[in-house]
Formats: sequence, structure tokens, C-alpha cells
Amino acid sequence: MTLRMTRRSALACAVALTALPTAATAEDAWPTAPLHVYVGFPAGSSPDTLTRIVTEPLAQRLGQPVVVENKPGAGGVIGVQQMLANAGDGLSFATTINGPLTTAARLMKSTGYDVATDIAPVTLIATSPLVLAVSASSDFTDLESFIAAAGTEPEFLSYGSVGQGSGAHLTAELFADAAGVSLLHIPFTSYAEVTTSIVGGEIDAGFMAPSAALPQVEAGRMRMLGITSAEPFPQAPDVPVLAGRAGLPADFRAELWNAFIAPAGTDPAIIARLNTEIGAILADPEVQQKLLAIGWQAAPGTPGELADRIAADTAMWGAVIDRVAAKP
Amino acid sequence: MQRDPMHRDWPDILGGLALAAIGAAAAGWALAQYDIGTLRRMGPGFFPAILGGLLTVLGLVVALPALRRRSDAPGIEPLAALAVLAAILVFGLGLFRIGLVAATAAAVLVASLPAPRPGWGWRLALAAAIALLTVVVFGLGLRMSLPLWPRLP
Amino acid sequence: MTTWEGLLYGIGFALQPAVLIYCVLGVVLGTFVGVLPGIGAMAAISLLLPITYYITPEAALIMLAGVYYGAQYGGSVASILMRLPGTPQSAVTSLDGYPLARQGRAGVALFTAMASSFAGSMIGIAVLVTLAGWLSHAATAFGAADYAAMMILGLVAASTIGSSSPAKGFAMVVLGLLLGCVGTDVNSGVQRFTFGRTELLDGINLVALAMGLFGVAEVIANVRDPDRQGVTERIGGRQLLPRRDDLKRLPGPMLRGSALGSFFGALPGTGSTLSSFLAYALERRVSRTPERFGEGAIEGVSAPESANNAAAISAFVPTLTLGIPGDPIMALMLGALVIHGVQPGPLMLEARPEMFWGLVASFGIGNLLLLVLNLPLIGIWVAMLRIPFRWLYPAILIFLCLGVYSVRGLSFDILAVAAIGLAGYLLALARFSPALLLLGFVLGPLIETNLRRALLIGRGDPMVFLDRPIAAGFVLATVGLLALSLVQVWRRRRAR
Repeated sequence: MTLRMTRRSALACAVALTALPTAATAEDAWPTAPLHVYVGFPAGSSPDTLTRIVTEPLAQRLGQPVVVENKPGAGGVIGVQQMLANAGDGLSFATTINGPLTTAARLMKSTGYDVATDIAPVTLIATSPLVLAVSASSDFTDLESFIAAAGTEPEFLSYGSVGQGSGAHLTAELFADAAGVSLLHIPFTSYAEVTTSIVGGEIDAGFMAPSAALPQVEAGRMRMLGITSAEPFPQAPDVPVLAGRAGLPADFRAELWNAFIAPAGTDPAIIARLNTEIGAILADPEVQQKLLAIGWQAAPGTPGELADRIAADTAMWGAVIDRVAAKP
Repeated sequence: MQRDPMHRDWPDILGGLALAAIGAAAAGWALAQYDIGTLRRMGPGFFPAILGGLLTVLGLVVALPALRRRSDAPGIEPLAALAVLAAILVFGLGLFRIGLVAATAAAVLVASLPAPRPGWGWRLALAAAIALLTVVVFGLGLRMSLPLWPRLP
Repeated sequence: MTTWEGLLYGIGFALQPAVLIYCVLGVVLGTFVGVLPGIGAMAAISLLLPITYYITPEAALIMLAGVYYGAQYGGSVASILMRLPGTPQSAVTSLDGYPLARQGRAGVALFTAMASSFAGSMIGIAVLVTLAGWLSHAATAFGAADYAAMMILGLVAASTIGSSSPAKGFAMVVLGLLLGCVGTDVNSGVQRFTFGRTELLDGINLVALAMGLFGVAEVIANVRDPDRQGVTERIGGRQLLPRRDDLKRLPGPMLRGSALGSFFGALPGTGSTLSSFLAYALERRVSRTPERFGEGAIEGVSAPESANNAAAISAFVPTLTLGIPGDPIMALMLGALVIHGVQPGPLMLEARPEMFWGLVASFGIGNLLLLVLNLPLIGIWVAMLRIPFRWLYPAILIFLCLGVYSVRGLSFDILAVAAIGLAGYLLALARFSPALLLLGFVLGPLIETNLRRALLIGRGDPMVFLDRPIAAGFVLATVGLLALSLVQVWRRRRAR
């Protein structure tokens, strides 16, 4: 009897062994409890809305609720920190914009984490280019006239950004360096202020999300001179790309992006599952449309591609930060 | 003029001197650590240095005349202050370690220590009632994402 | 569409049952959530945001607007009854509202706050409808130099509030300005006074500061106060309603407060806070008996409440006419519209008139609902004061901690409340005004960034503050006001 039992268990074991390596069992078992997705921005903000557009179908696909935890602060760094602080449970993830993964380590005294060793990339979610916007009542009708005016003397033209080290600031410095001009940086705290200041004629230009500029453009108060993506952006298809024009290099490209990340050490099977599910969600035209409405273009990819993007952008923005720091 | 040192205007003297000290420390720190910049491009130290200096002057303006003035000493409640502040710390430190229910109950017990009524019965009942109320209002009502119970290892 | 046609159309739109129900929901929820210490419109709106995905954009905006001004009213209830202001605006209301409550006249204070809120909203709506175009022009005409000069004038004008001596008042303003420096400097990216804490990079949490300075300090002072141990007999039914001489005092503060609020509210960023403080300061200045302020003057409740509600309405001017949100709450509401594919902006009035006029009409209907809802609630709120304080204060502490936590979900902020509470208690013992500290704290970063921005834009020339007519006007007014105070001090010295 003992022998028969053993034989039966051995059989069961063999069956289990053949099933396990396909990872189907592991996927079926996970997740067993609600997921927590940390967002370093307040509820209702653009990164938060993007996250909710993705996590709502994700919850249906995983069969478990996905709780969005808003931990705003420090340009999104606090959201990543909070994910890492709860890393032990295997159910804590985060979405974040590029800053906390690329420039934060350079701009802050200490972020409390090392992107290379503490973060496991899952997938890129979406990208957003910036447009170079000027007042409609200004003389700049195209990129060439803007750069010509900017070249008359250093800091002849000014631009607004949402703070030292922000995407808008670094993009403008990258642009100015590529175009061989020097612009005066005026830091603001929000795009609303930058827009008001451009429309009011106080400053000359600003890099901003197409969705921030479009309402003003439609009302005839602003003009968009160019866009920083490699291809025209669907939300503003008429705006020409900056790359290759007015002396700018042909590979000029600067985009904000938003990614889904996990703590380092997360089971690779879980990361693969999340990557597949989010990829499928982002392939849905309805989801793409929702993202586009808030200024994001879906851009899913593999974890490896995200890791490459992080490395490339860290190097690119790092060089810009060096140049800005070297300025008097 | 009253010469008794105990009847000086201690609130203004100590308050003014404390503010002057804070101002001087802030200004000193700003001057030492942060760039002052120029009028065109003010550095991060410009504002705190000026404000710190201003606070030092204002603190002295409050404190010095008070040396020649008398005033009633305010009634200090050290026990109440200690219990209330300790309760907040217990709650803040406990929330994510022992959960909302236990942290609330513990904080209520600590806070109620200086209340002028003896006995533990009403204190325990109050702790239970407030813990229940907190769960209902913030957990069920406002759906705040908080751990209710201690996290299992 | 003319203004009248628009309004009639809007009223018809807002009274549709499918729209009205969300207006009621927003107002009721806003009031109850706002009463919780530290939980303001922001937290309440975030809570309701998911619902807005499933309803029409018009209903969504009307509901969120209802939460916005409902929470504002709820917040004044908490600051009048318990001295628990979650915003600088309600801190001003508590300056005289709380003393009134302690004198057994909580009902009168609540009635005054409610009537003044209603008056402020109605005047705000009238201004929004008639002057929206002009106000939106003013919002873009204001440059960095103008903002900096205006806010400095505001600080100087308000710095005598609630303080026994001018030096103590100024010292609190400056301490607030200094605390406002904590965090990442916008211009240079340098982290100031953060001592390596990531939680301090965005500055000290305003709600933690308000709750520590007011709520915690007040709880400590009252734990063992024998007056607060038993049932308070002084609160009777007759004292719930204002007397005739109370009512006679109200129209002036309401009108002046609403005028200030309507103007400043339309300027992105500062409006509501600045107008509350200025309205209070103005009433004290025009009053024949300024010494009553701070001791329970109902003008001191009426003026700031009118001002901040008028400002809450005119804050929609830049949001709706320019598509530029004036504060984070407005940005949240714009986000709710964008999700529905509605692009708020200069063209919205033409493209979606039902949205604009429906919203304007719902402001009126919502505020009327708020009045109807809250008049009967006065009795219930006042009855809360009958609860012995020893049962009440532990709950107040827990609730205010969670209110502070709700802002950004960090337990660091709860620990900060303890530290700020200790400082607040010591300041109260030495009779310094925490309201002025809050004013300095809120305006400080705005003054600093605008001042530095103005000098950058002017390429370092300080004449930018005199070349622009708006800025020059504010600078002259500030100098005049300072001269006036010095003359007053000098006259008082000579008279002695």
C-alpha cells in the first residue's frame, strides 16, 4: 500500500514537473492579491490619468484589483521610493515619467535608489514630444526666423520652463546647443504660468506638451514652430519636426516618456506576464485614443528596450546637465 | 517700575530671542551653503539670507523693549503637551506597522492620559469607539488606502 | 447668445434631473468631507474623479464644482467650531469665528459664515457673467513684476492682523516667508533647508503646518481647561440666530469682501488667500471699533468668507476663458474635462455654450442648495460643542492626522504635525499670530519666484517695478501704506 501510494505521488510529481516549466501554472497562480501601483503625481494629473487608463483593463486581465497609490512629490521620485519601500510583497509596482529614472540622480543630492540595481524595467507605456511655442503676435513665423533672432546676441530671446532641470528646461537647452544659440532661461512652476507669460508677451517662447499649447493655438494666441519627436505627432500633425531643420542635426529627438517598472528582484515570469498584458492593452485602439486625448502616444516595448532607453536618455540628459552647470 | 525679575514679560523676551536665533541661524546657513548671486540672477541664498537677517532684527525688536515691561506668565500645560504630541507620534509611527485600528486605539489612550477624569473604563471605551469611527469614515467612506491590521510577516 | 439668453439656457440645463442630482451629490459630499479637519476640496475631488469618467463632462464639472465650494463651506465649519483650519482662508475665518463659538455664539458665527458665503458666491457669479472678458484680460496683463509688487502690498496690508504689536506681526510674516523657502528652489534647483529629506523637497506640507499651528496647539491648551469639561449650558436655541444689530453689521463686509475676492480670484495662483486676508484687514481698518477684531467680531467672519467664496467663483475665469488653471484644484477639474475630449480654452464659450452657461447656472443653484442644506445643520454642528472635550479631542487628533496624511500619503507629514504642533503651542503661549505665519508661508514662494523672474526678464534692471504701470501702482501703494503706519505710530508716541 505504501508502495502504491509512492508510485502515485511520483506520477503526480512527474505530471507537475512537465507542466511547471511552461510557466502556465505560475501565471495562473499570480496574482493572488490586489496589486499596488505607485504614482509619484497627484490624482487627476496627466501621469495619474495615464496610469488609470492602463490599470483599469489590467485589473480585468489579471482578475485582481489594481490599487493606484498616489504618492506625489519630488518630481515623481517619491513614488519610486514608495514602491521600493514596499518591494517585499511582490505586488508593488510603479509607473513613472522619465525624470526619476534618468535625470533625478544628477539633479538631487540623493534619490535613495540606484536605477541600475534597484529597478527592474517592465515596459515603456507612452511617449510625449514637446512643441516649441511662441506668441501669435510675435514676429516668429517659422523656426528659421526664431533661430535667426536668437542668434543676434546671447540671451536675446527668453523661454519659460517648469523649473530648473525639468524636461522643458533641458529640452530647450539641448535645442539651443544644437542650433548654436544661447537663450535666457526663465523658470516657472507650471505650464499654466508659462502659457500665460507667452500669451502676455512677457517671454518669447517655451517648450511644452502639444496638449498644453493646442487650445491657445486654436484660439489664435500661439504658434507652434516645431516638435521634438522624430515623426509628426498625431495630436498636432501639421507641426513640422525640428530634426534636420535650421541647422539642427537629423537625429535631434527629445521626448518625455512614461514607463511601468518593478522593484529589482521581481520574478522574471511576473515581469514577462505584465509586459505581455500591458502590451496587449496598449494595442487596443480605444486605449490609444484615450491616451492621445491627454497628450500621450502609446509606445509599448520589451523590458530590454526600456532599459536601453533609460541608459541612452541618462547619457543624453546628463551631457545637457553638465553644459548647463558649466554656464556662468 | 517693577524690579522683580519673575514679573518681566517673559513670553515676549523668550519668543523674540528664539525668533532672533532662528533668523540668525537661517541667514548664517544660507550665506554659508547657498549662492547669493547677483541682482539680475539672484541665487538660492539671496532670499533666505535677507529674511533671516530681517527676522533677527524683528526678534530683537520684540524682545528688548519687553525687558523693561511686566506681564502675567501664561499657564503652561507640560503634561497635556507631552501626551498630545506623543499621541501624534504614536499614530504616525504606528500606522504602517500595527495598522489603523491599533494605532488609533493606542494614540487615543496616550492622548487621553492628561484628561481630568480618573479611570480606565471610559478611556478604553473611547479608544474602541474612535477606532471604529476612523475605520468607517476614512476606510469605508473616503476609501483611503490604509492597512487596517498589522502586516503579517 | 446674449448674457440673458445664456443664463436662462444654463438654468434650464442645470435643472435637468440628470445634472441636478450630481450638483446635489457634489455639494453634500463636499460639505461633509470639508468638515473633516485637513481634508479639503482636493482630497474630495480626487475621491470623486473616477466617477467622472462615467458621466457627461457637463455633469462631471458641475459635480466637481459643487465639491469645491461645498468643501470650502465645510472647512469654515471646522475652523469656527474647533479652530481646525485646513487652509489659510479658513484660518482667517477662525480668527473671530472661534472666539464667537467660545462665547456660546457658534450658531451666529456659522450663520454669518453661511450667509456671507452665499452673498460672496452670488456677487462672484454676477461678476463672472458681466466682467469675465475684462478679468481674463487682466489675468494675462499681469506680469511677474506686477504679481510680486501686488503680493508685497498684500503682506504689508495684512501684517497687522490678529497681533498685539506690529513687530510681532511682522516677525510672524517673516518666519512664514522663511519657512516657505524650504524645498527645491525653482530657479536654481538647489535644495534649501531640506536636511537630506526627500519629503521636504516640495516644501513643508501646508495642511500639516495649518493643523499643527492651529489645531494641535488649541487642543493642548484646552485638554485640562475646566470650562470645557462638562455640558456647556450657554448654548441655547435663541442664540443660534443672529440678533438685529448683528444683521445690520453684515452688508458692508459682504460687499467689500466680495469685491476683493472677485478681483483677486481671477488672478491665477494667489487669489483666494490674499483676498481673505485683505478683506479682514480692510474691515478692521474701516471699523469704528477695531479692538473687537480677534475677540469675536462678526465682520471678521463675514468679510473673509464673502471674499473666499467670490474668489472661488472668479477662479473659474482664467480656467474657462483661457484654459489656464489658476490652482491645482482647477487643474484637476480641467483634467476631468480633457479626459472627455473637451478642450477647455478661449474657444469653449463659442464651441460649448451649454458647458459654460450650465456651469455658471449650477454655481448659483449649488450655492442655494448649500444654504438650504446647511441652515438646518447649524443646530447639529453646534450640538457637537456640547460633547465634553475629553471625548472630543482624541478624535480630533486622529482625524487631523489622517487629514494631513490624505494630502500626499506620507506618514512623514504626520510626524511633522507633532513638531509643528509643539512650535505652535509655544508661539501661542508667547501670543504670536499663527495666521500671519500661514500668510507669509503661502505668499513667500510666490513673491520670491516672481521677484526673481521679474529681474531675470528685465535683465537685472530693478526699474521693471516702476516701468510697468500695474507694478508701479502697487509699489506706490505699499510705500504709502508703510508711511501711513509710521505716521500713526509716531502720533501715538507723541500723544502719550
